[in-house]
Amino acid sequence: MIERKVIINNPTGLHARPASLLVKEANKFKSEIMINKGGKDVNAKSILSVLSLGVSNGDEIIIKANGEDEKEAMDAIINLIETLVE
Amino acid sequence: MDIKMMFSKERVSFDLKARTKEEAIDELIEMLYKDGKLKDKESFKRAVLKREEEFSTGIGMGIAIPHGKDSSVVEPCITFGVSKNGIDFDSMDGKPAHIFFLISVPEDAADTHLHILSFISRKLMHEDVRQKLFNAKDFEDVINAFN
Repeated sequence: MIERKVIINNPTGLHARPASLLVKEANKFKSEIMINKGGKDVNAKSILSVLSLGVSNGDEIIIKANGEDEKEAMDAIINLIETLVE
Repeated sequence: MDIKMMFSKERVSFDLKARTKEEAIDELIEMLYKDGKLKDKESFKRAVLKREEEFSTGIGMGIAIPHGKDSSVVEPCITFGVSKNGIDFDSMDGKPAHIFFLISVPEDAADTHLHILSFISRKLMHEDVRQKLFNAKDFEDVINAFN
């Protein structure tokens, strides 16, 4: 299992379209992918779970990936979050 | 902020007549307007449809959470509706939406809509909550589903 911290810099945070993009990306991988905010882990492959965290601009979250393609999954998720513009 | 207080028995429908996505949005907006929580229906509808164009709020599992932030909104509210037949809402899983939450917040409401979305999503993760909402017969059933 690998994990990385990331700060959310896009104005919207993780809801609406950014959340759906993240969920779509996460579903491309076999690994289990979790997002942690404030000590709570949720499944990054479920839109309801991601929305439930209420991640907004400036929040720090931890991405965790566990599985055969965890490294690729982590790179893809971090890249997506860092390049969100809206 | 008590999100449950943002529901009202004046803004629930357990038998939406709409057959299309736009009709569903119109029907929900009409309830909001009749309850005096909206100054300008058209302006708010534009805000909601603009959001839908960017990203459909049909999030799957039969749920749609259309929302709009607009100066025509009097105060943050949630309008609730159920469609027994289901409505095509361009959902992420391609399935019809049955349970609708229209979230309306004023222009200056900062992160309020995020808190509401977060609350609703957290509750809807549970299958039994979704079932209770789908089978709700009155306002009390809706509120109790969240308890």
